Amino acid sequence: MEATNQNILVVGGGMSGVTAALEAAEAGYNVILVEKRPYLGGKVTQFYHYFPKLCPPNCGLEINFKRMKQNPRIRFFTMAEPVKISGKEGDYDVTIKISPRYVTEKCTCCGKCEEVCETEIDNPFDFGLSKIKAIYLPHEFAFPMRYVMDPSIVGTEEAKKCQQACPYGAIDLDMKEQVFDIKAGAIIWAAGWEPYEANKIEYYGFGEYKNLITNVMMERLAAPNGPTDGKILRPSDNKEVKKIAFVQCAGSRDENHLPYCSGVCCLASLKQALYVREKNPESEVTIFYIDIRALDRYEDFFTKVKQDEKINFIRSKIATITEEENTGDLIVEGEDTHKGEQIRMKFDMVVLATGLVPNTINIEAPDVPKDKFGFILRDDVVKGIYGAGCVRRPTDVATSVQDATAAAIKAIQSISRR
Amino acid sequence: MISWNNNALRDVLKEVDYAEEIYKCIQCGMCAGSCPLRHHMDYPPRKIFALLRTGNIDLVLNSKSIFLCTSCYSCIVRCPRGIHVMDIMHGLAHYAIKMGKISRKNTATFGQEFWKQIYKRGRVDEKDLSRRYFFSDGIVQGIKNALSMADMGIIMLLHGRMKLLPEKPIKGIKQLRIMLDKAEQESRR
Ligand SMILES: Cc1cc2nc3c(=O)[nH]c(=O)nc-3n(C[C@H](O)[C@H](O)[C@H](O)COP(=O)(O)OP(=O)(O)OC[C@H]3O[C@@H](n4cnc5c(N)ncnc54)[C@H](O)[C@@H]3O)c2cc1C
Ligand code: SF4
Ligand code: SF4
Repeated sequence: MEATNQNILVVGGGMSGVTAALEAAEAGYNVILVEKRPYLGGKVTQFYHYFPKLCPPNCGLEINFKRMKQNPRIRFFTMAEPVKISGKEGDYDVTIKISPRYVTEKCTCCGKCEEVCETEIDNPFDFGLSKIKAIYLPHEFAFPMRYVMDPSIVGTEEAKKCQQACPYGAIDLDMKEQVFDIKAGAIIWAAGWEPYEANKIEYYGFGEYKNLITNVMMERLAAPNGPTDGKILRPSDNKEVKKIAFVQCAGSRDENHLPYCSGVCCLASLKQALYVREKNPESEVTIFYIDIRALDRYEDFFTKVKQDEKINFIRSKIATITEEENTGDLIVEGEDTHKGEQIRMKFDMVVLATGLVPNTINIEAPDVPKDKFGFILRDDVVKGIYGAGCVRRPTDVATSVQDATAAAIKAIQSISRR
Repeated sequence: MISWNNNALRDVLKEVDYAEEIYKCIQCGMCAGSCPLRHHMDYPPRKIFALLRTGNIDLVLNSKSIFLCTSCYSCIVRCPRGIHVMDIMHGLAHYAIKMGKISRKNTATFGQEFWKQIYKRGRVDEKDLSRRYFFSDGIVQGIKNALSMADMGIIMLLHGRMKLLPEKPIKGIKQLRIMLDKAEQESRR
């Protein structure tokens, strides 16, 4: 019998990847986790609250990170991604690339480097809604808690200045990209999702109108550690938002864009409607939808949101959005399909409820069954590589966590049965 | 009056290209929301499709919406279900004429009216849009009927000019008239 490698490789350190890694490690298996970002947690680290309970994602994340720290069976790499997978079930060779962080584990997060750094970059954590220094802590709860230097300043005087300012000698400007091979018996692909690029929906004008934002940006506007300290202010003039619209299915359920339902954007908008109402009692929210997809236990959440009279639901797939000159207000037009009337309404800010695109396996790798949109199928014929979470279908955190647990079991079975 | 007529629906599905796509419609309202003539339609396309699905063929064939389409393509480009909305509307207009719901004579008369307006101002005023009711196959066919003119290049040019703007002559009306006169001569040959 061939030797079966007993390592499980997990690609992606979002809720799904972290869960899969923990479940497998706590069952006694060795796990290597690679995460492309400089920190773990994935998208939910950027959210203000979770639906339906409206609690901050950090508590759940903290518990998981604590479990990780306590478990010697998990090794994880940040700023790391696989570039090639070869081999077969039980015996994979995976090439991993680690991008240089330029900051070592000696970093205490004292922030001295940041103080002297003058160059600013678009803050990826805020989806470009704010600027950040070119040497930065990705966010206040980042795990691992360590600074990162943006490659754009490496090789400049600015970088040297930062290095000299560090009292702990934690900045290493000679750090290079590392590429190495690892062996794994099974692989869990949990690389999550990206928001659908809203500028592709050309009749909405995203990117042209300042006060037209996406749902992920809205999470940042609501978050206390976001660009507006948690006040919902519109980008053009920092005015507090009173009249706001959510445009559902922005790109989803649309054969010209994403033909599938993205599953969570209705719930995200219901939640964000509550953000707005909670932060500004005078605000009025209008949600334009085709149908609201709040299934199973989420129906109660929908019912609760509907009780707020200042949250207005209009059945309409919005056809056009235009900007009013001088005010920056946005004019939304479409057909109210319940009343059968044409509508034209003005808002301070409009949120596009954009959908989810899977970060599917996009490198040289053994064939894994996928649907035509790239969502990984769990097919019992092909064993050894398993999708987990939003790469399998657009879904909420609770379902991602369940799915990741299932993927961990599949991976364990894969390496134990041989 | 609501009438259920299954045979009539079957005929529509047979006669009108792409009509089977009405079953894909999710009633989202994008088509009407994108339509420049939305304020003039008695039934937006989605209602036309819903009426067909429920067998209300007469309401559909007597609706003025099916004659209003200016072939701007917005609905086709944006329909999230990829339905050939515009083609179906045109097909229904044709079918309505074939079924004797609208007379060819009226189409021609009003086509000539419409044509005079173009000649005078280079564009059509919104108030007069109801005239398009009588253009069996949208504007293109209307003008064709009026002038029995086959020069498609000129027609497309006109088509681009059909903006819903005030009743002022457009810039370059003189050149347009010269072209139109030429086209007319050609068509009379
Ligand atoms: C606006 C909005 C609000 C939402 N709000 C909620 C909510 O309130 N409650 C809820 O339950 N759900 C919510 N969701 C859904 C939630 O975001 C997902 O369920 C969750 O993010 C799924 O986690 P994941 O780990 O599968 O993916 P992700 O969170 O995307 O994590 C994937 C990780 O993999 C990494 N990665 C990607 N590619 C690679 C690679 N090649 N190599 C290595 N690493 C890689 C990424 O950097 C990321 O860290 C919301 C979604 C949206 C759009
Ligand atoms: S979840 Fe709602 S907004 Fe998102 S695609 Fe589905 S129906 Fe549209
Ligand atoms: S845009 Fe398409 S799917 Fe939507 S109502 Fe019109 S025809 Fe139906």
